[in-house]
Amino acid sequence: MRRDLHDLGWGAALALTGLAVAGYAFASYDMGSLRRMGPGFFPVTLGLLLAGLGALIAVPAMGRPGRPRPFAWPETIAVVAALLVFGLALDRLGVLLTTALTVLIASAVAPRRGLGWRLVLTVAVTALVWLVFVRGLNMSLPVWPGALR
Amino acid sequence: MTTLEGLAHGLAVALQPSILIYSLLGAVLGTLVGVLPGIGAMAAITLLLPITYYISSEAALVMLAAVYYGAQYGGAVASILLRLPGTPQSAVTTLDGYPMAQQGRAGVALFTAMISSFAGSMLGIVILVLLAGWLSRLATSFGAADYAAMMVMGLVAASTIGEGRMAKSLAMVVLGVILGCVGTDVNSGAQRFTFGQVQLLDGINLVALAMGLFGLAEIIGNIRKAERDGPPARVTLRQLVPTRDDLRRIVAPITRGTALGGFFGALPGTGSTISSFLSYALERRVARRPERFGKGAIEGVAGPEAANNAASITAFVPTLTLGIPGDPIMALMLGALVIHGIQPGPMMLQAHPDMFWGLVVSFGIGNLFLLVLNLPLIGIWVSMLRIPFHWLYPAIIIFVCLGVYSVRGSTFDIVMVAAIGAIGYALTQAAFSPALLLLGFVLGPLIETNLRRALLVSRGDPMIFLERPIACGFLVATLALLIYGLLKRSDRGSTSSKVAD
Repeated sequence: MRRDLHDLGWGAALALTGLAVAGYAFASYDMGSLRRMGPGFFPVTLGLLLAGLGALIAVPAMGRPGRPRPFAWPETIAVVAALLVFGLALDRLGVLLTTALTVLIASAVAPRRGLGWRLVLTVAVTALVWLVFVRGLNMSLPVWPGALR
Repeated sequence: MTTLEGLAHGLAVALQPSILIYSLLGAVLGTLVGVLPGIGAMAAITLLLPITYYISSEAALVMLAAVYYGAQYGGAVASILLRLPGTPQSAVTTLDGYPMAQQGRAGVALFTAMISSFAGSMLGIVILVLLAGWLSRLATSFGAADYAAMMVMGLVAASTIGEGRMAKSLAMVVLGVILGCVGTDVNSGAQRFTFGQVQLLDGINLVALAMGLFGLAEIIGNIRKAERDGPPARVTLRQLVPTRDDLRRIVAPITRGTALGGFFGALPGTGSTISSFLSYALERRVARRPERFGKGAIEGVAGPEAANNAASITAFVPTLTLGIPGDPIMALMLGALVIHGIQPGPMMLQAHPDMFWGLVVSFGIGNLFLLVLNLPLIGIWVSMLRIPFHWLYPAIIIFVCLGVYSVRGSTFDIVMVAAIGAIGYALTQAAFSPALLLLGFVLGPLIETNLRRALLVSRGDPMIFLERPIACGFLVATLALLIYGLLKRSDRGSTSSKVAD
């Protein structure tokens, strides 16, 4: 029997998230009373609600054929990697080198192959960042490696 | 202040050169992002949000709003010429706009879209002015219980009236509200779900969340999809001229579309996308020969375009007068207002007349800009469509990074955007709506505050929600919406699935 694995998986994940939120909030925060709601009251209620909704999504999905949905793995990985590199390298390499690196990583998964156009784009975007954000807006950014302004 | 005085006051605000420039800038940027498939108004507004920290609050809101309605104009261009909706609001325009283009009537379709958008916006402004005054007077009698109930209704309405299955939509709303709990609890000072991270004390950053969910997730999904079969047809000014028959045909759909969009835009929880779908359905129903629809019926372009623009104007009614955003874009606008220290609500008309009336008048000026600019510039917009997406998206990623970083100089936020982006994309692929998550995120803390306040007033008696007629009315409406959502199943899927194909 085929199953709607997407909904089953997501429903279960949401239900577990809900239970975790409710459990954590119940254990860590004061529930208070209806008259004076403590910080735990709202999250516990919401966690239980999410758990219920997750179950509502997952249970019917068990007896229902699902549609395969494409997932753009390479694109997801490249875009996430590009951001992580930007976030982690900015303070060490400065904005210009970081930008160049990020553009090269992000453009690696473009449908158009080849390095030539990517180098052109890298130079163009880096120049744009220098012109607009460093010179134009005078944003407080580390520009070069080790040179915090 | 009477309406006329208000408008005169607004005119004085909106005609300041700096405001005019930001209005024009927003309109042009909005059209641009609307034209380019792969970047919606949502992504554009989040990208601009950090920049608005540096300009006056009036200029900021005028610009963001202009981006919003400018994108509605631009979205139609890509829908008509490429059958790729630039924005979700213009998805329905592909149904008849693209067939018109194939029949060599692309120019007329574009003209129709623009003139309908303009008419819809202008009439939408009239509705906004009439409703806002009335609603803000009414809303002064609202108590905390009424607010909480109304916001719950707004969230449920957005979940049940929109696309997709109700359980999935509601789950996104609840997840959003949970994310809204992160940070320091206002009432008790307790730190919730911060796990010792100093960066989370103020909660999850709205800009980071929106950029991840919309900027990044949209980019990931579009890298492969946005590659097109071929360049669009050229459009000359001469081709824009409609025939007398065309003009006669579009008057009634524009009027009906505006009425529909104006009404649904003003309801919290329903937005411009829904209005354009409803308008299309309505036009097909009242048409003498419905079989023409889907094959290039001009009414199918005029009605929805008028509806989505009217709705995007009247969507400001609940946002400004009640402080309750009806759709995710309004949630961002609300966020922008709060960033600038302005709390929207019943008192806003009195407390910030410059902001309110300036914004209203700027809507009119901005739409005039769009009409006057876009007709002659149509050739430029069409050539924009020739830029392949792979030249654009790496630059957009850089803007996302710098935009998030500029908010508070935190690289932690950039890393967070990466994580949120991946989750957002995965959710979209599994047919969950990240837009509802954002709506829940913005409304959640407001609901909690009002809920606590209401129960404090009633000394812990939950009957307060049933004893107050306004709150009770909203809760009955919420119940009705839930029942409607259960009965609906997927019978409305027909129009939307056609667009998705």
